[in-house]
Amino acid sequence: MSPAQPWHRRMVQSLLYGYHVDREKKAKARLGLAITVFALIYATIAVRLVILAVAPDSHAARRMGPQDAVATARPDILDRNGDVLATDIKASSLFAEPQRARVIDVDEAVELLTAVLPDLDSNELRDRLGSKRRFAWLKREITPEQQVEIHRLGLPGIGFLTENRRVYPDGPEASHVVGYVNVDNQGSAGIEKWLDESGLADLHRAGFASDRQQKPVQLSIDLRVQHAVRNELIAARDKFKADGAAAVVLDVHTGEVVSLVSVPDYDPSNPRGALDFSRINRLTKGVYEMGSTFKALTMAMALDSGKVKISSSFDARAPLHYGRFTIHDFHAQNRVLTVPEIFTYSSNIGAARMALAIGVPEHRAFLKKLGQLDRLHTELPEGHDPIVPAQWGELNTVTISFGHGLSVAPLQAVMGVAALVNGGILIPPTFLKRSPQEAQGLGTRVIKPETSAMMRYLMRLNAEKGSAKQADVPGYYVGGKTGTAEKVINGHYVKTRLLTDFMAVLPADDPRYLILVMLDEPQGLPENNGSAVSAYNAGPTTAKIIARIAPLLGITPRFELPPADRLILASAKETR
Amino acid sequence: MNLVRMLNLVVVAALVLAAAYVYKIKFESTLQAERVAKLRNEIRHERDKIAALRAEWSQLDNPSRIQGIAERHLSLKSVEATQFDTLDHLPERPPDRVSPDASDPIAAMIESLRNDMPTGTVRGKTP
Repeated sequence: MSPAQPWHRRMVQSLLYGYHVDREKKAKARLGLAITVFALIYATIAVRLVILAVAPDSHAARRMGPQDAVATARPDILDRNGDVLATDIKASSLFAEPQRARVIDVDEAVELLTAVLPDLDSNELRDRLGSKRRFAWLKREITPEQQVEIHRLGLPGIGFLTENRRVYPDGPEASHVVGYVNVDNQGSAGIEKWLDESGLADLHRAGFASDRQQKPVQLSIDLRVQHAVRNELIAARDKFKADGAAAVVLDVHTGEVVSLVSVPDYDPSNPRGALDFSRINRLTKGVYEMGSTFKALTMAMALDSGKVKISSSFDARAPLHYGRFTIHDFHAQNRVLTVPEIFTYSSNIGAARMALAIGVPEHRAFLKKLGQLDRLHTELPEGHDPIVPAQWGELNTVTISFGHGLSVAPLQAVMGVAALVNGGILIPPTFLKRSPQEAQGLGTRVIKPETSAMMRYLMRLNAEKGSAKQADVPGYYVGGKTGTAEKVINGHYVKTRLLTDFMAVLPADDPRYLILVMLDEPQGLPENNGSAVSAYNAGPTTAKIIARIAPLLGITPRFELPPADRLILASAKETR
Repeated sequence: MNLVRMLNLVVVAALVLAAAYVYKIKFESTLQAERVAKLRNEIRHERDKIAALRAEWSQLDNPSRIQGIAERHLSLKSVEATQFDTLDHLPERPPDRVSPDASDPIAAMIESLRNDMPTGTVRGKTP
């Protein structure tokens, strides 16, 4: 035992002496070795125990049964009051493993299964069971009773998987907002599609979204208002035999869409025909020439520029000739009209002259500022670019000043008009619940507050004296503007195919909501001499809607209010 | 030597005890883990049931269904704006007969009525 040897060799040797050392020493050394080894083993066990106790139970949480593989959960969709618009419930789906099922009689299996599920196609079922595939769906989403019955049949090679099934308890009520999902629970339209696009699809792929632990999505929609609006719209569509009808209720201070209805719509639980062109969301996917409601934008531009005052007047004595076009007035007065008169008589000539007085580039820039020339982006994936003239000359400014020659999505126009009445702040509309503070951060000032007060005055005046009389509901101080546009068929305006719309502010002295009602090709009624202009259909429909939804929106009726020139105009002048 | 044997015995006994204790803990923890799994499963089932019930509730609560039922069974009409009124149009509250700190409001009311009555009534005991 020389000291030149390395230390570990010496240690082992000291533990395992050879035969020549005495027994006691040897025993002692071996005991030492045993103690060391056992101590090491117990130390390992102790450390492992501590690790197991400290580490979270991660394995159990990630463990998923095979039946969860396809059960992709989605968050609930709630309305602004917490009512359920879409939720998941568990449902069983029937599948077969034809490779294993081959041992049994296919015909017998088909017979037994079609007895329980009468809507199964027996030929298709036979094909699926007879195929050589490993796995085939037989029927998705069967009821618990059917599951028990099929289970009792005791067919081999047939089993059930639990899947999340999306249900829409309110049916078609909010279909265009909520959208729908396909059979694999992936969003296909509306907010459902938006959910997938904003990260849910990635969650699914990673396998994390199988349990219902996701935060519900709260929309800005109020289900009660939504129902009332839809109910009135369906009635109006029947009454005026219109192709379609649509309405939107917007909170002017937050940009929240409280209600959006476009009929005909569809049932999200059974979205067959949802892609049919007549069922599109006319408010975001459709683009239309909005007609005279656009005069509100023209007026606001003129008043905001400072070049035109509320007392200014414009010559509307004769139709306006422009190239080979002649601009007429629908309610021709054939005299010089003041600014409020142009608005209440809805004078095309007056609006055109006003826009020309401001100038073509300024007109274009103003509409751009109000978001009328770019595609409107909301949560809804359904959208359409506005149709803007490629060459914007004086003629374009003339026609666009009264709402022809520029097609926008109606929701876009609503956003613009909301900015005119809410004090001059343009707020992008949203379908999600939003607080006034959040909205303040998003808004941009587009017109002066005084101009906004003038616009409110004009809107209210129109309901007191002008074409919006039909939409005035006593007690709610409604203001509004009608719009009637002839539709373009094969490049020509057709007098009999109209798009009528109505913009209402509620209440006009201190607006809280803006309501747009739109009818697509309404027919004239005999009591209106067959006329189908907005004042006879969209206007009264708006009145009915306001009478129903104002109590739901918490608007107190006030009856002793002075007319607009005393209430709005006077206070606007005072604050100046 | 005796001391070493004693020590050995004590260690062996401790070993047996420790083994028994570890076994017990292990058994209990398995039991608890099973319970946790079972409860988790139950919670999931309950949650699924709650979801189904909520879906059913909102189906029953759906405004168009309520409107249909109301139109069929009730003779109510839509509310008019004239039917609303503000709180300041409400008349003043009549003066209180009972002071708010009376311990027995009904007795106090009877008392105050008695005070209003002509004199000569017998006060006091009930038979």
